[in-house]
Amino acid sequence: MGLLGNIAYFSIHPNQLRSILQWKLWHDPVHQRDPAKESDNLKECFKYLDLTSRSFSAVIQELNPELLVPVALFYLCLRALDTIEDDMTIPLEKKEPLLRNFQDVLTKDGWTFDGNGPNEKDRELCVHFDVVITELKTVKPAYFAIIKDITNKMGNGMADYANNAEHNIEGVKTIKDYELYCHYVAGLVGDGLTRLFVESGLANPALLKRPELSEAMGQFLQKTNIIRDVREDFDDKRSFYPKEIWSKHVDKFADLFDPKNLPAALACSSDMVLNALGHAEECLFYMAGIKDQSVFNFVAIPQSMAIATLELVFQNPNIFQKNVKITKGDACELMMQSSQNLRTVCEIFKRYIRRIHKKNTPKDPNFLQISIACGKVERFIESIYPTQDPKALALIHKGESSVKDSKTAAEEAEAKKDVFYLMFAVMGTLLVISALMIGTAWLAGARFDIAFNELRKGKFFPSQTPDGDAAQNIVNSQGHGEL
Amino acid sequence: MAPIPASEKAPLGNVLVIGGCGFLGHHLVDLILESYKASVSVLDLYTTRNRRPDSDGVSYYNGDITDLSSILPVFEKTKPDVVIHTASPTAVDGAKALFKKVNVDGTKVVIEACQKSGVKALVYTSSASIISDSVNDLINADERWPVIPASAQSEYYSLTKAEAEAFVLAANRSPTCPKLLTCAIRPSGIFGPGDVQQTPGFLNAYYNGQTGFQLGSNDNLFDFTYVTNIAHAHLLAARALIYTSTLSHPLQDLEKVDGEAFLITNDSPVYFWDFARAIWKAAGNERGTEHVWVIGQSLGMGVATLLKWISWVTRKPARLTPLQVKYSCMTRYLDIGKAKKRLGYAPLVSLQDGIELAVKWAIDEKAGEGEKKSQ
Repeated sequence: MGLLGNIAYFSIHPNQLRSILQWKLWHDPVHQRDPAKESDNLKECFKYLDLTSRSFSAVIQELNPELLVPVALFYLCLRALDTIEDDMTIPLEKKEPLLRNFQDVLTKDGWTFDGNGPNEKDRELCVHFDVVITELKTVKPAYFAIIKDITNKMGNGMADYANNAEHNIEGVKTIKDYELYCHYVAGLVGDGLTRLFVESGLANPALLKRPELSEAMGQFLQKTNIIRDVREDFDDKRSFYPKEIWSKHVDKFADLFDPKNLPAALACSSDMVLNALGHAEECLFYMAGIKDQSVFNFVAIPQSMAIATLELVFQNPNIFQKNVKITKGDACELMMQSSQNLRTVCEIFKRYIRRIHKKNTPKDPNFLQISIACGKVERFIESIYPTQDPKALALIHKGESSVKDSKTAAEEAEAKKDVFYLMFAVMGTLLVISALMIGTAWLAGARFDIAFNELRKGKFFPSQTPDGDAAQNIVNSQGHGEL
Repeated sequence: MAPIPASEKAPLGNVLVIGGCGFLGHHLVDLILESYKASVSVLDLYTTRNRRPDSDGVSYYNGDITDLSSILPVFEKTKPDVVIHTASPTAVDGAKALFKKVNVDGTKVVIEACQKSGVKALVYTSSASIISDSVNDLINADERWPVIPASAQSEYYSLTKAEAEAFVLAANRSPTCPKLLTCAIRPSGIFGPGDVQQTPGFLNAYYNGQTGFQLGSNDNLFDFTYVTNIAHAHLLAARALIYTSTLSHPLQDLEKVDGEAFLITNDSPVYFWDFARAIWKAAGNERGTEHVWVIGQSLGMGVATLLKWISWVTRKPARLTPLQVKYSCMTRYLDIGKAKKRLGYAPLVSLQDGIELAVKWAIDEKAGEGEKKSQ
């Protein structure tokens, strides 16, 4: 979009512009990275962070200084791994050992990799990976051990996946395979980050006893991305929608992209959305365990973006034709509202859940299941932040309600009375006027009996042509007579 | 559900189901026969409908629970360990006096009969409506929510259910008869085969071509419960009471079942009109929501009030009542954590399966009626 395009867009969508301006003007990070105090090597690392991920880079750079560098490096290690896995130009026999042994690379001084294809967008990071290795030495051993462990697990998981020829030809088969894939590429990240948060004392250690919660965080993000990117992946000759789901709706995966199969394609994507929605409650639960504000923002912002994206892709035919994305204005609004507390994040979830529910249609094979899934998320939020207080309700019934309550009750009763009288007056007036009109018509000789009989015969309109002509003749003749 | 082999069925002793030919009652009898080792007797005002075949060994007794002399002989003959009291007029079709007579006086007679014949466990079918005043929302309510007192309860039916529940719970380990343990089940929005209110009500709207109207925003979550799940909760409660009766000391407060009330739902609150639409869909409706007119709650109330006056003049039942408007705009869902923890309750039949079973039954029933008429 050029400048003119922007001006045109924002003049129709002023709220979007407002959100962007508000974020730029009022966003006050809890912590801010200070490049002046950093070594040149570390600055290089942040340069690659910016290059590889714009959205994550911003939230990482506002993290608590204790975790800033470890999380940034953790991200770069996994990104490098992902860049190798993603690259379809690297032959499997070369790729597999690279992935499986990547954790050893982390301690190999000066290691770099230039085997990526020229079109691989993050190839620069691998070419200069030595800066990451140098920086990893400065990280506390406890943090390094976590980074290395997750790199090891993810590398092996990715190798297993790449090795499975079936996935390459047919894509992911079962829901179990799909979730295992999401576990390797995202669930493990959730696990590693949680261990870093707890190790640094910024999150409740109880999170380590509930590994399913951090797993849900990763699954929710990854599944949302997979649903959204279906077209892009298809164009790249890959698919992550499990056959177990899509085969319920179409015979061949490619059929999803044929506009004449749109109803089936939408049913398939809602099936995928339903599957992803199942993680929402656990994600909210997880976020309750974060103590530090900057860490909270770090985990909450992507989750809010994910629920908004899920709403965007739900019942959206465009996902099968092009890339869809939440608007920049919406993204700024979400970032603003999610960098506060769990309550505001719950409000975001509730808002988007209600929108999903509004778009849900009985034509969808999973209509009721989606309704139930939305209801579950709403109920969970209600269980954390209850609207009603049984003790207060009991007091009201005992007649001990405060003066204020009884006053508002009296006002409400008064308002109800007003509405009643108003309705009564309106209906009364209508009745009187109708009676007058009908009465006048009757006095003037209107034949309601004939009209009724005609209506009962199903003639709702007087037959036009002959009667019309007759009337015209009468008008004409009378006109002439009077003139 | 796969049949349970006899060796794995839990023992329940002699069970007497009061109202066992009614809507909930006959599902209870079905579930006992399917999942428990028990000798089942049924006591009902009329025992001709909803009867099991003689080969199932259920004994049926006619009796009127408002008259002790009519039911005590049945108690003495069947010697029940467990009594499940489901008898009640349906919420819509009774006159005030009937509600009072059956729900309150009848329940007192049942308690007396239990006490006189050495019954160990009495499970009473109460109603979640006793914590609703039919005006205000119930948002994720649990058993801590107060029972609505007479001054605030606009539904007389609910008031009599509340009064009866209080008598039943007061009879738990009462000084005069400490051996009798009692508890109450409070179901919400019961539906299923045999249902004369919810399923037929929604289906009528479909057959009358009223799927194009939606009262309120449809953001209100509502709990509907499939009848077999409610029966399941009753039987879990009965088992828990029997187990408690074998203990020398009462259970701790957080585990206690006797003297307690339990809210029961399908644990799947849904948006009110989504439930209606799921019913219509099960009945064959293929339309989405594009044609739907949303009518705000206050406008709906106005129309319903007007129709009420018209129906008063024309002496014909109104197609829309103010109470229907209130219900379809009200948030009413419950937290059943207590039943999950203490009874080990979880629904046996999902909402989707329940809707399909209920609609299939209602359609078959309608077809059956049609045949009878044409004969």
